[in-house]
Formats: sequence, structure tokens, C-alpha cells
Amino acid sequence: MWSDTILIVFISVCTAFLGEGLTWVLVYRTEKYQKLKTEVEKQSKKLERRKEIHGDSLDKAVKKKIERDEEKLKNNNRDLSLVKMKSMFATGFAFTALLSMFNSIFDGRVVAQLPFTPISWIQGLSHRNLAGEDYTDCSFIFLYILCTMSIRQNIQKMLGFAPSRAASKQGGGLFGAPPGQFK
Amino acid sequence: MSTKTNTIERHGNGSAKSSTLKEICARAITKSEWEDKEEFLDVIYWSRQVFGIILGVIWGIVPLKGFLGLVLFAGISCGIVYLYAINFQNVDEEAYGGVWELVKEGFMTSFAGFLVTWIIFYTGLHYDTIMAAKSS
Repeated sequence: MWSDTILIVFISVCTAFLGEGLTWVLVYRTEKYQKLKTEVEKQSKKLERRKEIHGDSLDKAVKKKIERDEEKLKNNNRDLSLVKMKSMFATGFAFTALLSMFNSIFDGRVVAQLPFTPISWIQGLSHRNLAGEDYTDCSFIFLYILCTMSIRQNIQKMLGFAPSRAASKQGGGLFGAPPGQFK
Repeated sequence: MSTKTNTIERHGNGSAKSSTLKEICARAITKSEWEDKEEFLDVIYWSRQVFGIILGVIWGIVPLKGFLGLVLFAGISCGIVYLYAINFQNVDEEAYGGVWELVKEGFMTSFAGFLVTWIIFYTGLHYDTIMAAKSS
């Protein structure tokens, strides 16, 4: 039983490196991305510090300045997301193809035994394409997703490709909440 | 204002670059001052990943089963981070945006890592027992 699980971990390490490699070729190494990233990081840090210093200040001029900075940051974040979008499509396609290939290899195979019974809305994933009613059987896709969740993010962080904390805190790009909404 | 910001920024970047992994580890296990917030959050993030994997291996070897294993992991993981940051390192939680920010730092990633190692060790070590119990 070790072989299947170790193989899945290996597959997800490979796909994580592949995904990051592809993104590096398409996005990370481009000048536009690097410029935008440094800009966003600088602005996020500046904004965070300014908010810390002027926390509850009622000064209208300061408030206006903060708002203007937030607007600028939002625009830059949007541009950054647009640059990333290109590679998201490319990796999306590559991964869908790879995943369907692995899915057919592991089709109907129980790759592991879960030490717990998953809650009902996860069972669709953890019991995908498996026969029987035993929900502690684990399908390929569930283990693969879990592996990817931990491995890809750690690899991103290790290689320094993960967005900085200040930047992700100040606004999550296209789909994130506008900065300062929860303040 | 801008001069002040620049100074802090340069100082923050400078200290991040000058401290090596060894130094950071040494500071992490002793009570020390953390001028660079990012550095401290990184310490929490990575130690949490390692901790999640270790717990996963232990849970798999024991073997712990069911909801209890999940709750115990979440409790221990958050509890240790809280105690480490607030009681051991004595950091000012407000500077990090509240306890919650510290407790949730890297939680999901470490949870996924924990689940993977738990499932792999549980399946690998106890497969025959599980199958025997299922067929009986």
C-alpha cells in the first residue's frame, strides 16, 4: 500500500515544480511582473505603516492620502493579476490534461485508507469513482489535492514566489476584497 | 514622515538579509527580540509545517482514528503556536494584527501536510489490520 501513496506524493511534487517552472517561464522572469511586484510590495508596506501610525486619526488630509494610496495599490494589484492570468490559463490546461491522465490510471482504485470518515460534502471527492459504500476508502484525487495543497504552497514559499504577507493582506488582487474594507 | 518610513524599511530589509538560517533558528529556540515581523512569521510558518508532519507520523503510527485525531491536531497546533508566541517569545500580538493572525499563519498548509502523512502512515503500517477489521 506504500507504493500508491508514495507515487502520488511524488506526482504532486513533480506537478508542483512543473507548475512553478511554467509560471516562471511565462510570468516570474518577465520584467513587467518583477516591476509590478516590487511596486505592490513597496506600496503595501508603506500603506500598512501609514495606517499604523495614523491609526484612528481623523485628519481629513491624511485620510485622503491613505485612500489615494489604496486606490493606487488596487490598480497595481489588478495589473499584477492580469499578468498572472496568462500563465494561469496555460497551467490550467496542462494540469487538466495531466489530471485526466492520472485519473484514468487510478480509476476505481482505492489508493489509501482514511483514518476518519470525511464529512458528506467531501465524500464526493474522497470517494470519487470508487465502488462500495465504505467512505474510509480514499480516491486518487483526494490524496492528490491534499498533497498539492501542502507541497505547492511550500515550494512557492521556498522559491520566494509566494506573494508577501503585506501584499496579500492589503488586497487580494482582482477577486479579493478592496483594501481597507474590514478596517 | 517619508524619511522615517524609508529608514524603517531599509532597516527591516537589511536585518532580513543579514541573518542566516542558522541565526534565525538560534533565535527561534531562545527568547529573543523580533524586529522584523516577517522573520518571526516565517519561523512560525516553517516550524508549523515540520510540526504538522511530525504529528501526522505519530497519529499514523499510534494509530489515532476519527474526528478526535483532527480536533486534537487543530487544538495542539494552535495551542502551541499561541503559547510559543505569547508566553515564550513575548511578542506584542497587536503588532501582528491580533492573536488570530498568529494562530492562523500557515495553518491550512500544515493541516494538509498533516493529513497526508497521517493517511500515508496509517495506510502503510496498518493496512492488514484495517482490511481484517473491515472483512469481519
